[in-house]
Amino acid sequence: MTVYLISTLTVVAIAALAGLALNLQWGLGGLVNFGLFGFYMLGAYIAGLLTVQGVPPLLALLVAMIGVAALSAASALISVRLSEDYLAIVTLGFAECLRLVISYEAWLTKGMLGVAGIARPLQDLWPRGFADTGFLGLSLLAVFIVYVLLQGVARSPFGRLVRATRDDPGVVEALGKSVLSVRVRVFAVGGAILGLAGSLHAFYYTYIDPTQFGPIITAYAFMAVVVGGRGSNRGVLIAAFTLIFLLEGSRFLIDLVPGLGASELAAIRLFLVGTGLVVLLIFKPDGFGREPRSALADRTSRL
Amino acid sequence: MGQLLVNGIVAGLLLALPALALSLTFSVLRFANYAIGSYLTCGAYLVYVGNVVLGMPLWLAAGAGAILFAGIAVAIDWLAFRPLRDRSSVTLLVASMGVAIALENVIRLFAGNAPRAYDVPVARPIRLGDIRLNHEQLTILITVTAALAVVWIVFRFTRLGRMMRAVADNPDLAAVRGIARARVVASVWMISGVLVSLSGVLIGLDANVEPQMGWTYLLPVFTAAILGGIASPMAAVAGALTLGVAEELATLVMPVHYRTIVSFLLMATLLLLRPWGLFGKRWVTK
Repeated sequence: MTVYLISTLTVVAIAALAGLALNLQWGLGGLVNFGLFGFYMLGAYIAGLLTVQGVPPLLALLVAMIGVAALSAASALISVRLSEDYLAIVTLGFAECLRLVISYEAWLTKGMLGVAGIARPLQDLWPRGFADTGFLGLSLLAVFIVYVLLQGVARSPFGRLVRATRDDPGVVEALGKSVLSVRVRVFAVGGAILGLAGSLHAFYYTYIDPTQFGPIITAYAFMAVVVGGRGSNRGVLIAAFTLIFLLEGSRFLIDLVPGLGASELAAIRLFLVGTGLVVLLIFKPDGFGREPRSALADRTSRL
Repeated sequence: MGQLLVNGIVAGLLLALPALALSLTFSVLRFANYAIGSYLTCGAYLVYVGNVVLGMPLWLAAGAGAILFAGIAVAIDWLAFRPLRDRSSVTLLVASMGVAIALENVIRLFAGNAPRAYDVPVARPIRLGDIRLNHEQLTILITVTAALAVVWIVFRFTRLGRMMRAVADNPDLAAVRGIARARVVASVWMISGVLVSLSGVLIGLDANVEPQMGWTYLLPVFTAAILGGIASPMAAVAGALTLGVAEELATLVMPVHYRTIVSFLLMATLLLLRPWGLFGKRWVTK
């Protein structure tokens, strides 16, 4: 039972990181990233492949974060001249292409065979038999650090600028700020967090192959942000550790309910996520959390 | 070379119907429907049920499935999209992604993940000089051309078509002139439901019926619609043909499994240089 709890919590912590990244990009910045899973996958592959080559895991993690940040920024640049709607399809296309390249360029990524034997960071620190617990601690620490940093960003002048570009890019442009540079920076920071989440995924499973990465990662992240309330980092965390925990934890139902296989359960879970998204957007568009705002903004604007 | 062109045109025709449906809903509702891929899958499976489970001939199953799915598309609009119509376009995007995930997984739940095929007799390809044409390709050619002709006639010469064009041009003015927007929206969803499920059947004939099929077509369909200028429905057809031929010609220099990359590169270049589309008018820039 404890083993089960630890593994579910680790998966949830990684999903929470992806949720926080999306909350910065979509919640705060209004930029829809449908290709989230591709960036996450890229992070996992950079970290995994470098570690297998003998690069220390923490260094590999850093390279993965920088690499994904750079590519995220590049994908945001493609939609320079367009409204946010196009960013959604561009990121989706980008992610699909990344997945294809990773699946077929076997000389680089081992293709469908997958990368095995990925070393975890700081593995020697934990006593024997506590490797997973130690890794869970590390993931939770990562979530905490990212949360604190993002809270800082949300309250900073840059956070205000990001919210302003979301609410009215025209006004921001008129005030002499570059909307494009804001978008690119938001995408880069979000990408770095996704790189972190992907690397942790690779370290945790110690084996990665292209089938592990699919739209379900994107779906969980959107669920966390919509339930948690767009722009509220705390809400996203709470949503991740309750809702995604429940969804992920439902795996044990396979043993209890006869005739229920892993693929049926996965389908039911994703069906619930999909309908849940639509229902929430209709009936509770602001989610259950609250975006940190200044007192003035609270009085003057009611969205 | 001639063979490549023929294959490319057929591939383009496969994209033409969903691309037309996508830009039709976009031009009337200003909403890019990301669920269009799973609509396609859903239509293909409905027809599969009629064709294989109930034993109807394929043309009858396709007709029944398309009409049934037209109803489903209207129902989805009522349940999911209509309550969100006054919100930002980004909210609608995310909602359509939710619809896509939900639909695709309903299919996975009932039909499983295994690929299936329609019950059609196997036939020898037709030879015209050097060019080989499958029976499937011929079916695609005839069905798509006929469907496009019907849509064009509806769009150009009927009252409904005039109403749709009026709402697409200026919804407020159309409302002032007494056009019932709800009726126009419902008929747009019905038309696009029929088009998308027909294309689902054709894609299922060409390859297999599987839960993933719509997802793999999502990116090419969007690219085709953007190539045509996403708000001009008939231009989307031209965009689809261009993309089909381009993808097919690219197989001369790239492995076949990288077709999606061709389509993405084309879209990225276009968005950077001519975001209003190859054939569209200049209005989308912001």
